[in-house]
Formats: sequence, structure tokens, C-alpha cells
Amino acid sequence: MRDLPYRWIEAIQDRRDYIEDQLRLGSPVVGLPYAQGSLLLTVSKGAQKIFEVHDRIALSAIGHPADIERLRMLVTDTASVQAFQSATEDVNLHRLTHYVLAHTFKQAFEAIVGEAYIIKMLLVEIGNGDTPTQFTHINYDGNVKVQHESAVIGGTTEIENAMQDYLTAAQTDAKPDLPTALQLALKTWAVGRGLSQRFEDADDNTEVTDEQVNDIIKTELADREIEVGVLDSTLSGDTKFRLLTQDEIQVARETT
Amino acid sequence: MMNHKGDFLSLLKNADTLQVDSETRRESNPKALIHDAFQLPFDRKASYGTTLEIPEATTVVAMRYKEGIIIAGDRRATAGTAVVHDRAEKVLPIDTHSVLAISGAPAMAYEIARVLKHSFQYFRRSQLQELSVQGKLRTLSRLIRDNLPMAMQGIGAVIPIFALYAPQTDESENGGKIFFYDALGAHFENVDFATTGSGSVWIRGVLRYLDRWGGTRLEEMDQQQATVTILRLLDTASEYDAATSGYNAKAEIFPTLKIITRQGIETLTDQYLSECYTEVT
Repeated sequence: MRDLPYRWIEAIQDRRDYIEDQLRLGSPVVGLPYAQGSLLLTVSKGAQKIFEVHDRIALSAIGHPADIERLRMLVTDTASVQAFQSATEDVNLHRLTHYVLAHTFKQAFEAIVGEAYIIKMLLVEIGNGDTPTQFTHINYDGNVKVQHESAVIGGTTEIENAMQDYLTAAQTDAKPDLPTALQLALKTWAVGRGLSQRFEDADDNTEVTDEQVNDIIKTELADREIEVGVLDSTLSGDTKFRLLTQDEIQVARETT
Repeated sequence: MMNHKGDFLSLLKNADTLQVDSETRRESNPKALIHDAFQLPFDRKASYGTTLEIPEATTVVAMRYKEGIIIAGDRRATAGTAVVHDRAEKVLPIDTHSVLAISGAPAMAYEIARVLKHSFQYFRRSQLQELSVQGKLRTLSRLIRDNLPMAMQGIGAVIPIFALYAPQTDESENGGKIFFYDALGAHFENVDFATTGSGSVWIRGVLRYLDRWGGTRLEEMDQQQATVTILRLLDTASEYDAATSGYNAKAEIFPTLKIITRQGIETLTDQYLSECYTEVT
């Protein structure tokens, strides 16, 4: 197949279509800074979707659970080994992204005889001293997008754009407190969720009203749970990551 | 590649198979590294195992008090009769609720503490749950046993005290647990107190006496009483053991005291200790 370039391109395109089709209905993830750190939020049916990678780095993804697990282990292992051989301070998101994850994604995607990873990943590293907070979005084909204000992953690029627009419009310069950030993240999630359901009906309208957002949250939470992981720079000790409990999430949602 | 089930040591051994520009296998193996650094010819006597001299010039002590565990160590590091350092940290936090107090060769002890810390973290991050108390004890056992060849050469024994608070313990109970080890890695749970190091011989009996016939049983002491008791014990040890430092008022050097409670680990401040010292003397 490799001696026929046009067939290779065709195969890649097929692969792209296949993966995007698989990802379309994935539950979006929202990454947002707040006063004490950064949070990742998603809504899921039981299985954990937000993970601790290292002291100041967290991860979430949409895609096939087996692929998520494999790549999560790869990045966790690498970070742990590097932290031990050198020092914890030497582990950073930039190196993990560019020397470990991105090329692994790309290699798997372009090796058309092998299996591709069905995955989109969002990583966050909270700032420390001079280094700013960083959100890194890695696509299944190894494309990397780095953002500092906020980031989302969703089933399709259109969904992501609509979510990001909603989020950017609502964000202010001052970093919100945790309850405000959590509520905004949840609404942004609902925008993405609403669109991923709507795109099944091939509708181009990416407008989601506040009323629809509230409806989506209400229906979706009937059989799903909100999951929030925070990197809280005020936590004592080296590890800044923790998952909020359901009680904490409930309290944050009710705070006005 | 993914067959290590949360075991940090085997991950390190196979670190080459990770898709990173990792260094050589030798460098990724902490045991080999330590072994190389200290590779001395076997002393004939030692190689037959007839003597096992353990340099453990220090005093570390842990006891259960009302709210959990108080654990402490003096600050002196010695080489023979020379004092090489007077601000050594011998009480090392491992994770949010466990602490290792070390006596023995510092190079090995610090490395063991470091491996332990990374192992616990790695288990939690990879397996998405905390390593159990039994799991933690076994990991430490294994590290101490792996260090045996060094101990047999008389240069690197590490005899630690491992103390932790099990946060899932019922509110009405004290979840503090103290474990001590021998050079072979066997662990023993010691409910009320433990002490190791060269100065420990002078205070072990005192601890027993206090616990049995003292005014307040160790476990019923509040933080203030426990702190004063510990400071007095360290003072006693330093009186008879040259390798244990007392409170150095001139240089404002205090022993390290940490408490482990349901809320986690807290280091008692110099300010607090200096207030307690007024009661000690």
C-alpha cells in the first residue's frame, strides 16, 4: 500500500473519518483556572475520567477507554521515572507532551496497518513561580494546541469551537473562585453536550440558549455524575491534585 | 510495558522500554547505583556474618499520644567521633499520613526514604487508589532487605521507624500506628512506642517506665505533654550518647518533632518547641 501514495492518503482520510465518528459522542471536558489553581470538569457514568499525572499535572481524555488507559499509563510512568532519576521539578508538561505523547499519537495514527488511538487528551499544569498555567490539547493525530486561559475537548472541532466561544465570552480577567468556575465549567460542558446530540441530526446551528443549557444539565445528571479534579496550589505537600467529593461539588453548585 | 501493577521498583528496572530518551539501565536502577558507590571489599569477618556492627549513631523516637503519633529525631550526624552536621533531618515525611524516622547510614536511609515516597505516589497515580498499610509496610521491608549486603559490610545498615495514621480509622479510635524494623526487613508493630539509634538504649526503659507507672499513660497525653516528654527523652539520650545532640540554645537548633493525626502531618515549630523547653528544664 505504501508504494501507492494516493492510496496512503486515502487510507489516512478513512482513518480520520473513522476516529472522528467514534469520538463524536464523547462527553466533553472543560479546563479552567480559578483563584487557587485550575480545575478539570466532565460528566461521566461512574468510570473515572480525570487523573493525576504528577504533582502539578492532571489529565483527562475522551475516546476509547483502553486507549485512554494505555496513554495515561505511558505519561504517568514517564513522569514518575523522570522525577525519580532527576527531580520532581524537572517533570513538566511541555516535555511530556512533545517528547512522549505527541509523537506516540502521530506514529499510531499514521501507521495505517496498525491500530490507531481513538483519543483526544487534555492536560493541565498549574503555574509555579515564573511558569504560567498551561492547558495542552492533544489530538488523535498528534497535533498539539497550548492555551493559557482555558481549554476544552469535545467530540468534534465544531463542538470545541462553540464551547470555547461560550467559555471565553463568560470569562473575566479576574480569576473566579472555585464555585463560580465550577458552575461556568458545567454550563460549558452542557453546551458541548447539547451540540454533540444535535449534530447527529446534521444541524449547523451552534447556538445553545441558557434555557437549553439548564435542561441538558438536568436531564444528563439523572443517571450521570459530575466529576471535578483540581490542582490546588494551596494544598500542603508536593501533590496538588485531588478529586472533589460529590458533597463538595453539590455545595459548589448551590453557592451563589 | 504495562505489566508492573503499580510496582515502582520494577517500573524503574524496565524504564528503558518506556518510549522516552531514558538513560542507561544502570542509571535507572537505584539499587545498582547505591551498590556501585559503596562497593568496598568484603571484610572477612563480615562476609561470614559473624559480626554485624551497625553504625546507627542517632536517636529517633516515636510514641502514640491522644491524637495520633508524635515522632522525633535529634539533628546530629556523626562519622566516628566527628560531628559532621548539626542540622540533619532524620524525620522524613513520606506521604500525607506517614513518616519515616531514620537511624543508620544516611546515604542509604535517604535513598530508601526517596524510593518509598516515589513508590507510594506511583501506586496511587497508576492504580487510582492509595496503597494499603500492609502494602506500604511490605515495600519498606523489601527495601531494607535489599540493603542487607551493605549492612553486612558494616557500612550501610538502616533501621528505621515507620509511623502512620490510618485516616479511615473510626473517629473514636486512635489510628496512629508505629512500626519498627530489623536489618533483615522484618517489621514489628509496636503499639505504644518505639525508639532506635545509639541513644535509644538510654531511653527505651524510660519509655516503658513512663507508660506503665508514669502519671499519665503515653496514649492519654495531649500534644503539650507528649512534646515535653519527647524533648526530655531526647535530652536524656544526648546526656549519655555522644552521637545524639541535645537542644542547642546558642545556635537555636531544635530537634525535629512531627505529629501525625487524622488531619495529616504537622511539623512542630521552633517557636512552639522553645515554649515547651521552658517546661523541660
